[in-house]
Amino acid sequence: MSLSFLHPALLWGLAVAAIPLAIHLFYRRRPRAVPFPAIDFVMQARRETERRFKLRRVLLFAARTALLVAAALAIARPRLSAPEASAAPGPAGPAATAIVLDTSASMAYRLGGRSLLARAREDALEALRSLGPDEPATVVVCGGEGAPQADPPSFDRVELRRRIADADQTYLHSDLNSCVGAAARALGDPGVVGVARRRLLVATDLTASAWRLDAPAPVVSTPSGPERPEVTLLDAARGEKLPNRWVAGLVAEPEPAVGSHGYRISATVSGQEAEAGSDVPLSIRVGAGKDERTAVRSLLDLPASGSVKKSLAHDFATGGPAVVTASLPPDALPDDDALSLAIDVPREVKALVVNGAPSAVRHRDVAFFLEAALSGPASPVRPTVVDAEGFGKARLSDFDVVMLLDLRSPGAKGAELASFVEGGGGLFVAMGDDVDPDRYEAEMKGLLPAPLHVVKTAAARGTPGAAEKAARLAEVDWDHPILRIFTGPAREGLESVRTYRYMLLKPDRKEGGTRVIARYDDGAPALVEARRGRGRVILYASTLDPEWSDWTIRTSFLPAMQRIAAWLAGALEGRHDAPGVVGAPRQLVVPEGIRVAALLGPDGRERRDLATKEGVVVVTPDRPGLWQVRVRDLATSGEKIDPALAFAVWPDPRESDTRRLEPSELTAWFGGEAHARVAADGRAPENRQQPVWSWLLLLAVAAFLVEGLLLA
Amino acid sequence: MTEAGKRLLDPEVLARLAGLRLRVRATAEGVLSGLHRSPHHGQSVEFSEHKEYAPGDELRHVDWKAWGKFDKYYVKRFEQETNLRAWLVVDASGSMGYRGAEGRLTKLGYACTLAGTLAHLLVRQQDAAGLAVFAGQVTNALTPRAEPSQVNAILETLEALTPGGETRVESAVAFLAERARRRSAVMVFSDLLDRDERMIRMVADLRRRRHEVTIFHLLDPAEIDFPFDDPTLFLSMEDARSVEARGRDVRRGYLELLGKWLEGLRRTCGESDVEYVLVRTDQPLDEVLVPFLARRERSAA
Repeated sequence: MSLSFLHPALLWGLAVAAIPLAIHLFYRRRPRAVPFPAIDFVMQARRETERRFKLRRVLLFAARTALLVAAALAIARPRLSAPEASAAPGPAGPAATAIVLDTSASMAYRLGGRSLLARAREDALEALRSLGPDEPATVVVCGGEGAPQADPPSFDRVELRRRIADADQTYLHSDLNSCVGAAARALGDPGVVGVARRRLLVATDLTASAWRLDAPAPVVSTPSGPERPEVTLLDAARGEKLPNRWVAGLVAEPEPAVGSHGYRISATVSGQEAEAGSDVPLSIRVGAGKDERTAVRSLLDLPASGSVKKSLAHDFATGGPAVVTASLPPDALPDDDALSLAIDVPREVKALVVNGAPSAVRHRDVAFFLEAALSGPASPVRPTVVDAEGFGKARLSDFDVVMLLDLRSPGAKGAELASFVEGGGGLFVAMGDDVDPDRYEAEMKGLLPAPLHVVKTAAARGTPGAAEKAARLAEVDWDHPILRIFTGPAREGLESVRTYRYMLLKPDRKEGGTRVIARYDDGAPALVEARRGRGRVILYASTLDPEWSDWTIRTSFLPAMQRIAAWLAGALEGRHDAPGVVGAPRQLVVPEGIRVAALLGPDGRERRDLATKEGVVVVTPDRPGLWQVRVRDLATSGEKIDPALAFAVWPDPRESDTRRLEPSELTAWFGGEAHARVAADGRAPENRQQPVWSWLLLLAVAAFLVEGLLLA
Repeated sequence: MTEAGKRLLDPEVLARLAGLRLRVRATAEGVLSGLHRSPHHGQSVEFSEHKEYAPGDELRHVDWKAWGKFDKYYVKRFEQETNLRAWLVVDASGSMGYRGAEGRLTKLGYACTLAGTLAHLLVRQQDAAGLAVFAGQVTNALTPRAEPSQVNAILETLEALTPGGETRVESAVAFLAERARRRSAVMVFSDLLDRDERMIRMVADLRRRRHEVTIFHLLDPAEIDFPFDDPTLFLSMEDARSVEARGRDVRRGYLELLGKWLEGLRRTCGESDVEYVLVRTDQPLDEVLVPFLARRERSAA
C-alpha cells in the first residue's frame, strides 16, 4: 500500500504539528514562584507522581500533535493505494471514470462456453465495484453507428450497474472511436469537479474493425486544457485469437440452363483463421420457416484468412417469392454463419403478340424479333403470336399481356382491351407503317398514354449519313423498374439505339398516370407508360423490326422486352432490392390496397409499432436473417404474411472480421503506455485508493477527546 | 459571646488589628466571656502537702502542730505554691511566616496571638508563664513568672519576632529539658515542619519528664487544602530548595502525604499522652482556646 494525496500542496499544513512543540519550547508558561512551607511534601508528591505525569504529558503532547497532524493530513485528502494502483499512470487522487461497454455483434463470440459480452459485462461491473466512494462514473453502451448516449459522471452506482446489466447483445457494428469520444466528452463535463484523474475503461474484444486508428485519439477537455485520459482496455477475449468463418456474400441469378426457374446461387465464404480449412461444408437452403429445406450441399476449401466463392445451381419448382439461405456449420460466432436472400423467381407470363404486319420472310416479320426475345429459355414470358384476325378471336383473359405490333387499329377489340387493362392486364403498343393514329384514338378511347400524331422521319435508312442523323435515346429514366438493370456499360445497349422513324405523340392529353420512360434526342417521347385502372399501358413510338429502328439488334433489346412484358404483367413489380445490412433503415413499399400490419423478425417476434415516414413504412432491422411482412388487406381487413414483401438482412461484415488489434497499436494510439494499457485479464487497475481523510478526522476527534480526558 | 465578640476573634479581623497587644487583649476578653467559669482560681491557701523545713522557707509556714507531734519542722505547702508554670514554646522558623492569602495571619502571627493570649490568661490567674522561642535554636526565653509585668515582657518578645531559620524542635526540647525542671505545662506553637522525623518523639519525651505537653499544630488552610492548579515554583521558606510542579498534578499525592503525616502526629501524640490540637489559621481563636481551656479546667478540677 502507498499513500498519496489529492492536494499535496496542502501538506504544508503539517507545519502546524510543530505548534505544540514550539509552545513547549518557546512559549512555556512561567511557573509562579510561591514560598511554601510544606515543600517536602510537594517534592515527595512530585517524585511519586512524576513518572505518571510525565507519561501523561507525553500523551498530551502526542494527542495534541496527533490532532493537528490528522487535521492537516485530512485536509490534504490522503488516499491509500494498492501497489498496482500506485503504478498506474497519472497523478494520485480520485478519478472520474467512463466505462465503455462494447455490445457489437462480434461480442457474441463464445469462448469457453460464454460470450465475450458476458465477460465484458462482468469486467465492467467489477471495474465499477472497484471505484472509490468519491469517484464519479458513467457508462457508455456502445452498439451501433454514431455517438451513443454518454451522461456526465455521477455517483448513482445503482443506475450504472443497471445500465451495464441491461446492456443487450446487438447485431450491430460498433464504432468505438465514437464511443470513446463520447465518453471523453462526458469526462470533460464542467460538472466533473474534485477529481484528479479521468479514466476510460473500455470493455471490448479488441477487434480491429471497431477502431479507426487514423483518426485522432480522444482527449478530455478540462479546466486546465485538453488532456489525455488514462485508458484501460479490458480484453474480453483474454488475449486469445478469435478465429471465425462466415458467409460474406450471396448472389442468386437466373440460370436458364438449369431450368425455367433455374438460378445460379453464388456464396462467398470468408475465414479469419491461421490455417486453411478443407472440406468446409456449405449448404444452400430454400424456403422459409417450416418449408425450409436443404437444396444443395457442397464442400469447399477455404484458404487461411481468405475467401472463396462457390456457385451452385438450383431450379425452383415454381415462380414467385422465394428465400435462399447459404449456411456454414455454426462456429463460435454463429450469427454470421448464414446469409439469406429473398428473391422473386419470375413466374410465367403469358403474352399475346399481335403481329399486325406478318411477313413470310422471318426476319422481316414484325414479330420475329420480339418472339425470339420472349421465347428464350430463361425468359419467364410465354408468347403466343397471332395476326390481326387471330387477335379478333383471341380471348384476352387467357393472357397477362397483349402486345400490339404494327397493328392498324384494335378494331372491335378496342373496348375489350380497355376493360382488360382496367382489370389488371398489360398492353404494349409498338408503331409501324400500318398504324392509323386516328382510328387508335377513336377505338381505344384514351387507353394509350398519349394520342398518336404523325410519323416523323429522322433519317432515311440506307442513305449516306443516315446513321448519324438517326434519333437516339437521350432522356432515359434509368430508375424505372424496366430499365433498372441497365447500369454502367450496359446502358450503352440503349443509348446506341438508332431510330430513323418514330411516331410523334400529341401532348394535349391531360390525364394523369403517364410517365415518359425515354425520349429521343429531339425531346419526342420514345417510351411512354400510363396507368389505366389496375393495369398498365406502354407505348413504343417506333417499330420492333429493323425498318424504323435498329433496337432489335442491340443487346438491350432482349432483357428490355422480357422486363417490359413482366412489368406489364405485374411480375416485375415485386422484385426485391439487394439485402440490407442490419441496422440500416429500409423502406417497405407495398402495393395499393394493402397496408403493413406487422413485421416478423428472424427471432419469430412480431413488431407492430412501425414508424412511417411520409406514408412509407420505415423499418430498421436490428438482427440479421429473413424478415417477413404481415399485411392487412384494406378491403377485407384480413391479415396474412406476404412472401413477396419478405426481405433479408445481412450481418455487418465488419463484425465478422474478428482480427484483433495488437495491444501495442492501440496503446500507442491512445498516447503510449503512459496513458493506456491493455488488461489481458479483463481486470481494471485495482483502484483500491481508499480515502483515509475520514479516518484521520476520526483520529483527530479521538485525539481531542483524549486530550480532554488527560486534562480532566 | 456577643456577635461583636465573635467577629473580634476572627483571624482576619484580628489580622487587621495593629499590634499584638491589642490582638491579645481582644482575644483574652473574648475568650473570657466565652468561658462558663472564670479560669481564675485565685490565690489558693488550701493545704497541699508538708515539706521538711529548709533554710530560706518562710517561718510562718512552719506547721507547729507537726513539730509537736514529730519534733521536726515541717513547712506547710499550699495550693498557691503549686500554681501552673507554663512554657509557651513558639516556633519562629521561616515556615511560620507563611500565610496562604492576603489579610490572613501568618502562622507565626497566629501563634503569637495564641501564646500571648494564654500568657495573659495565665498571669491573670496568677499562673506563671514563660516563653521560649526557637528558630533553628532557642533565640528567646523568659522564665515563667506570675507577675503582671511578665505578660508585657512576653508580648514584647513575641511582638519583636520575625520568622526565619529552620524548624528545629529538638533545640526547644533540649532547652526545656534543661530549664524546666519543675513540672510545667508546655504549650508548643509550631507547624512542626521539622525535617527531623524524630521531632515528635522528642516532644513526647517532655511528657515523660512529667510536663503537660500541648501541641498547637498550626497550619495555613493552603497547606491543608493545597489550592494550587497551575505550574508553580514552590520555594522553601527555610532553605534554598525549590521544586516546580503543576499544582493539580501533585495535589492528590500531597494531600495523601499530608494526611498520613497528620495521622502519624495525632497517633504519636495520643500514644504519648500529648495533647494535640490542629489549628487552621483561618479558624477563630476562641474555637481553639475555649475548648482547650475548658479541658484544662476539667482536668484541674
